[in-house]
Amino acid sequence: MNRRTLLGGLFAAASVPALSACASGITSLDSQGSASGGGGSSKGGVTIGTANFTENQVLGYLYAAVLQQAGVKVKVRPNLGTREIVIPALKSGDIDLLPEYQGALLNYLAPKDNSAEPGTMQNALTLAMPGGLQVLPYGQAADSDCFVVTRETARKYGLTTLADLAKQNGKLVIGAAPEVKKRRVGAIGLKDVYGVEFKEFKSLDSDGPLVKGALKKGDVDVANLFTTDTDIAANDWVVLSDPKNLIPSQHIVPLIADRKADDRVRKALARLGNVLTTAQLTQLNSQVDNDKKDPEDVANAYAKQHGLA
Amino acid sequence: MYELFKNLGTWLTSGANWTGPDGIAHRLAEHLQYSLLATLIAAAIGLPLGLLIGHTGKGAFVAINLSSFGRALPTVGLVVLVFLAGGLSMLPVYVALVALAVPAIVTNTYAGMTAVDPDVRDAARGQGMRGHQVLFQIELPLALPLIMTGLRLALIQVVATATIAAYVSFGGLGRYVFDGLAQRDLVQVLGGAVLVAVIAVLLDLLLSTLQRFLFRHRTA
Amino acid sequence: MTIDWSWIGDHTDDLTSLTISHLQAALTAVFFGVLISLPLAVVAHRVRPLRGFLLGFSNVLFTIPSIAIFVLLLPISGLTRTTTVIGLTVYTLVVLLRNTVEGLDSVPAKTKEAAKAMGTRPLRTLLTVEFPLALPVIMAGVRIATVMSISLVSVATYIGDGGLGQLFTDGFQRNFPTPVIVGVVLTILLAVAADALLVALQYALTPWKRRRA
Repeated sequence: MNRRTLLGGLFAAASVPALSACASGITSLDSQGSASGGGGSSKGGVTIGTANFTENQVLGYLYAAVLQQAGVKVKVRPNLGTREIVIPALKSGDIDLLPEYQGALLNYLAPKDNSAEPGTMQNALTLAMPGGLQVLPYGQAADSDCFVVTRETARKYGLTTLADLAKQNGKLVIGAAPEVKKRRVGAIGLKDVYGVEFKEFKSLDSDGPLVKGALKKGDVDVANLFTTDTDIAANDWVVLSDPKNLIPSQHIVPLIADRKADDRVRKALARLGNVLTTAQLTQLNSQVDNDKKDPEDVANAYAKQHGLA
Repeated sequence: MYELFKNLGTWLTSGANWTGPDGIAHRLAEHLQYSLLATLIAAAIGLPLGLLIGHTGKGAFVAINLSSFGRALPTVGLVVLVFLAGGLSMLPVYVALVALAVPAIVTNTYAGMTAVDPDVRDAARGQGMRGHQVLFQIELPLALPLIMTGLRLALIQVVATATIAAYVSFGGLGRYVFDGLAQRDLVQVLGGAVLVAVIAVLLDLLLSTLQRFLFRHRTA
Repeated sequence: MTIDWSWIGDHTDDLTSLTISHLQAALTAVFFGVLISLPLAVVAHRVRPLRGFLLGFSNVLFTIPSIAIFVLLLPISGLTRTTTVIGLTVYTLVVLLRNTVEGLDSVPAKTKEAAKAMGTRPLRTLLTVEFPLALPVIMAGVRIATVMSISLVSVATYIGDGGLGQLFTDGFQRNFPTPVIVGVVLTILLAVAADALLVALQYALTPWKRRRA
C-alpha cells in the first residue's frame, strides 16, 4: 500500500461524516433494500478493502478496474486480514467496499440462518445487514469452502462425504485458518451437522502455503480449501461431498457502505458480476499464485479483455 | 475496558483453558522450549565469537556493530524467507530467534572481555601463562558478569519474540495472539500478550537475582 | 530459491512508495517517542520515587509482543496508519526513555552544582548544561530506537499496513521469494542508512568532542 493510497483512505474515512449527513435521510430505508436507488455518493472516492487471501485481492482489483472505468476514484487496501477484522473496518469507515461471499457472510452476520439458495440468501443478508451497510446484487461467480483430503487418505479411511469423517472421530487432524475454528462453515458446523470431532485443529492459513503444505506433508489429514483453487485438481486431492448442505452456495457479492452506494458504483459492479464466471476467476487466481503475476495486473488485463475497462 | 480485563481474568483462570493441545500449559511449555533452545544455540555461536574477538582484539568492529545489524533484521521477513527456502518446519523460527539473540550475546561478551583490567592480563602473561590459559583462567571468569547479562538480555528478547512461531503455524504463546487476531477475539490476544510479558519479567527477575547472588563477592 | 530480477524492474514504483511509507511510519514513531520521552525522562531523573516506576513499567511494556499491541489498538484506532504509529511509538518510547534517563544520570553532579552556583535556574541548567552533556547517550538511544522502529514496521503487515512488510505477506501467500528478499534487503539498507545519518548528526551536534580529538 503506498502513501497516496493511505492518504486517500484516510481522506475517504474523514469525508464520511460530511457525506453521511447528506445521505442520512435515505440511509435507513436504503439498508432494507439492496436495489433501491440513490442514497450514497462515490464522489469522494471509494476505498476497497480486501481480505488476506489471493482471490479476494483479485476481486478487489477487479472492482477497482470497473469503478475507475465508471469514473470513480478508487484506492485499494489489499490484504487487510480476516473477515472478522475487515468488516468492523467497513463499519467504522476505514474502508467502503469489500468483495464478500454470500454464505460465509450470512453465517458471520446471522449464524442461525439456514438459507442455502442464492435468492433466499440475498434476502436474508439484506435483513441481517448492520446499519450503514448493504449488499449489492450477487454475481454469477462463486467460490465455496471445501474440505479436502489426499487420495491416499480417502482410500485409507474410505472417505467420500463429510459424514464419513464422523466415523474417524478423534483420529484425524484438520488444518484451516484460525478463524475457521469458530465458524459454522468450519469446526463448529462440522460438529453440529455431521457430528465430526477432530483429534486436533491446526491453525494455518486461508487456502495458502501453510495449509496446502501441511496437507502434502501429512501434517494434517483434512484441509479447508476454496473451490477455485487449481491446486486441488493438480494434486489429485479429493473434495469431500456435502450431502447435508452445511456449506452454502457462496456467490460473490459486493458489500458496500450506504454512503458510497450510488448508481455509478451499482451499475459498474453489476456489469462485472454478470460477466465474471467461476472458471474465469479460477484462472485469474492461478495466474497470481502460480505465474506470480500481480493481482492488479491480472485484474486490469481481464477487465480490458472483457470490455469492462 | 473493564469488561475486557474481567474476561481476561476468566480466560486465565478457567481450568478448561489450561488443558489440551491448545491449552495454556502446553503453549507455555512450547514457548519456553523454543526460547531456551534458541538462546542455547545463540550462546553456542555467540560466546565463542565474543570471547575470540575480545581475546585477540581483532574484529572489534564486528562485535560493536553486530547489534545494530541484528536490530535492523525484520523478523517477519526472515521467517518467511527461510520458510520459502526450506519448507514448513521450525527452522525459520529458530533461524530468526538465533539471529536476534546472537548480537546481544556477542556484544556483551566482548564488552566483558574488554572490561578486564589490562594490568591483570599483563601480570598473567608475565607469569608465563599461555594465550588460552589467560583466556580461560583470567579473562573469562572476570568477564562472566557481563557475559551473563548478555545471556539474560538475549533470553528475554527471544521470549518476547518467540511469538513468531505462530506466523508459520507452530505453537507457543504467539498462537493466542495470532488466532485471536484472526478470530477478532481480543481476550485471547491480550491473554497471549500478558502471558509473554509475565514470563519475560519473571525470567528476568530470576536471572538477575541469580546473577547478583553469583557475583555477590565481586566489587562493582 | 531464485530471484526474479525482472519482477524488481517491473515494480520499482511500488517499491519506492512502500519504502517511503515504511520510513514515514518509523520516523513518525521516533519523533513522537522523543517528544514524549524527553519530559518523562526529566521527571524520572529528578523525581526519585517515580523513577523506578516509570523505568519498570516501560521495561514490562517492552516485553509485550509487537503484533499484540497492534491488534489491541485496532478497536481504538482501526485499520489505519495511526494504529501502526501508536504501536511503534510504545517501543521507541521505552528505548528513548531508558537512554535519556541514563544520559541525564551521566552528567557529573559537580557540573550541575557549578551551574547552580553561578545562579543558573533549573530549567536553563537542564537545557544548556544537562541535555547537551547527555546528548551522546541520548543520541545512542535515538539510533537504537530508529533502527528498531524500521525493523518493527513490517509487523504491521498483519493489520493491513506494514510498508515493506507487505512484501513479506505477499511473497508468503504466493510462495514467491523475490518480494521477500527485496523487502529484507531494503529494510536492512534503510536501517543502516538511517543509523549512519544519525551518527553524522551526532557528530555535528557535539562539536566539543571533535575539538578534543
